[in-house]
Amino acid sequence: MAEVPTQYGIILAAILFSLGVAGILLRRNIFFILLFVEVMLNAAGLAFVVAGARWGQADGQVMFIFVLATAAAEVAIGLGLLLRLHHQFKTLNVDEASDLRG
Amino acid sequence: MIVVFYIASGVAILSTFLVILQSNAVHALLYAILSLLSVAIVFFSLGAPLVAALEVIVYAGAIMVLFVFVVMVLNLGPGAEGQERVWLQPRTWTGPVILTLVLVGELIYIFLARPGLALGGPAIGPQEVSLALYGPYLLGVELASILLLAGLVGAYHLGREPSD
Amino acid sequence: MTSADILSLLPLLVVATTGVVVMLAAAFYRNHRLSLVLTLAGLLVAFISLPFVSPLTPRQVTPLVLVDGYALFYMGLIFAASFIVALLAYGYLEKWDGNPEELYVLLLLATLGAAVLVGSSHFASFFLGLETLSVALYAMIAYNRSLRRGIEAGIKYLVLAGVTAAFLLFGMALVYAETGTLAFSGVVAAAGGASLQLMVGLGMLIVGVGFKLGVVPFHMWTPDVYQGAPAPVTGLLASMSKGAVFALLLRYFTPVPALERQGLVWVFTAIAILSMLGGNILALTQDNVKRILAYSSIAHLGYLLVAFLASGPAGQLAVAFYLVAYFATTLSAFGVVTVLSTPDDEAESLQAYQGLYYRRPWLAIIFTIALLSLAGIPPTAGLVGKIFIAAAGVQASLWLLLIVLVLASVIGVFYYMRIVITMFRRPEVEAARPGMVGLPRAASVVLGVLSVILVGLGIYPVPVMRIIERTVARLV
Repeated sequence: MAEVPTQYGIILAAILFSLGVAGILLRRNIFFILLFVEVMLNAAGLAFVVAGARWGQADGQVMFIFVLATAAAEVAIGLGLLLRLHHQFKTLNVDEASDLRG
Repeated sequence: MIVVFYIASGVAILSTFLVILQSNAVHALLYAILSLLSVAIVFFSLGAPLVAALEVIVYAGAIMVLFVFVVMVLNLGPGAEGQERVWLQPRTWTGPVILTLVLVGELIYIFLARPGLALGGPAIGPQEVSLALYGPYLLGVELASILLLAGLVGAYHLGREPSD
Repeated sequence: MTSADILSLLPLLVVATTGVVVMLAAAFYRNHRLSLVLTLAGLLVAFISLPFVSPLTPRQVTPLVLVDGYALFYMGLIFAASFIVALLAYGYLEKWDGNPEELYVLLLLATLGAAVLVGSSHFASFFLGLETLSVALYAMIAYNRSLRRGIEAGIKYLVLAGVTAAFLLFGMALVYAETGTLAFSGVVAAAGGASLQLMVGLGMLIVGVGFKLGVVPFHMWTPDVYQGAPAPVTGLLASMSKGAVFALLLRYFTPVPALERQGLVWVFTAIAILSMLGGNILALTQDNVKRILAYSSIAHLGYLLVAFLASGPAGQLAVAFYLVAYFATTLSAFGVVTVLSTPDDEAESLQAYQGLYYRRPWLAIIFTIALLSLAGIPPTAGLVGKIFIAAAGVQASLWLLLIVLVLASVIGVFYYMRIVITMFRRPEVEAARPGMVGLPRAASVVLGVLSVILVGLGIYPVPVMRIIERTVARLV
């Protein structure tokens, strides 16, 4: 494998992470918000793999596997809640589905 | 190989960016899956073949598929497009976009200022990762399975039809 | 791993096993009482195993978990909190016709997550413990799935916790890229370098931790989540979830070398001040009891941060004692709310408490004691806790923080007293609230015991102090 500077890997992760944050701020639909949470988690996982590769350790990949498990569990519950939300509120808009005072 | 990294990075960034702009849920998902696949290629170019495979199998192949199921169940396809367009007004997105650009700019500056090592050397393949998982990270594996159990029980409970 | 390693993990193993056992029992034979009994038995065994494990400590079991006096103390606190919530939830869930057994499974798994969290010595166990706790909580918050605001609270908490987790992870990754190690000890040792990337990583970690603790300016959806969740779950959120994270914070953020500390100290000071003032001021405008308690907990985390900033043995003692008092108080307060609520109709608004003294005198007295403790009025544990914090603060010369602490406490008295006065005001109309037919015996006993503890600790805190000194304060 040729040389890829570590910093470019981290920057890639940072850009993807920021795109995820932007997405959450911009979209009002819970479905998309959940999607962007996944994007953010993936970006963080990428950062771990890059860091692990930089030090030549397997730990980065191991953390990525744990992140994967977490994302899976969160998505399962998140989408379940999404379906319930749609059932109750008939909308997926975060501003409209708001009984509780913001 | 470094060219592969740059191309894959570019595709990842572009497709993630496009996810933000889509009003159709299915299109957004497709771009998201594309982004995940390119990240998998990035992993491969970094010498991490195991997580590259896992990224495709689990992230793109299971988690995104769950999203696709939800789209199908809720019928978020073309019908919902009109709604989304209304919400994406320029005055809504100018603020967050400027903020994000500033943040990204800062982050890039910070990370470039730090001279990093070149990544290179042998790939860290499945064997090394497995040894780590069975060795120091043993408790982590057990804990991860408990985490998934919690997710399972929770999703099961939330998914049942309420008795009313 | 040696057998001694596995033995030292006994409390965690017991809780995990109990969780699985309760789940299997519910799968074969659904019975609410059975689930409760199994849960309580498991937690009791785990609690009892703590002093037995103690001779084996301190022990590093794989790089992930460090079992020592500090961890065992907080595990004990967590198990006790879980025990209390289980008892409170039983009476609450009996008034519901859904499936209650899953809550106990989730409760046990959440407890396990929190217990791992306080014993963690590595980013991996930190993250996994935290996420186990969170995932279990998502489902618990939205447990009454036909209740609109429960679902809404669940989604809001999930999105918030997901974003938090991502920030934490990214911060961890940056720190890892800098130091090459994920173990806390290694990170602390290598954190002497003043690289900008490291600062960003630490900053993101603070953002993540701040969200989890619910301090200002990360407190956005906390009141909503507290309001929408079932009362016993809110009690759990306020106590166990915040307490576990705080215990970890105290253990590992204190010895970070001086260079980083300067910058971080200002950040934490600002957060503490904003939380103490913001939490109390915002609570003044509320007339929903659960939201008042939510803002109040924001303020209390601010007080705890003062002790955290004081650091040293005095700070550690103050934090440990205050957490014990805080747990007891919070569970007592939310316990009262639980007892008065049903899953479909919670006793939230201040109106519901009007004239409580004339309907249920003991309940009103118990709630009053809890509120007095929150306000820091003698002779309660809350006051003693605040005195400890103040003492630690004086020792560390944190004058600005101490002034704010006193100021904020005074503001706090107003809204706590408002609730108390409402309870004692004679109601104009005798309104019967649905679901208040009989008080569950178990819950009443629990609440009574908690009140006794609160007053007892206020008058005679010495025994608990001795325990803390033997376990926690040995750390420094």
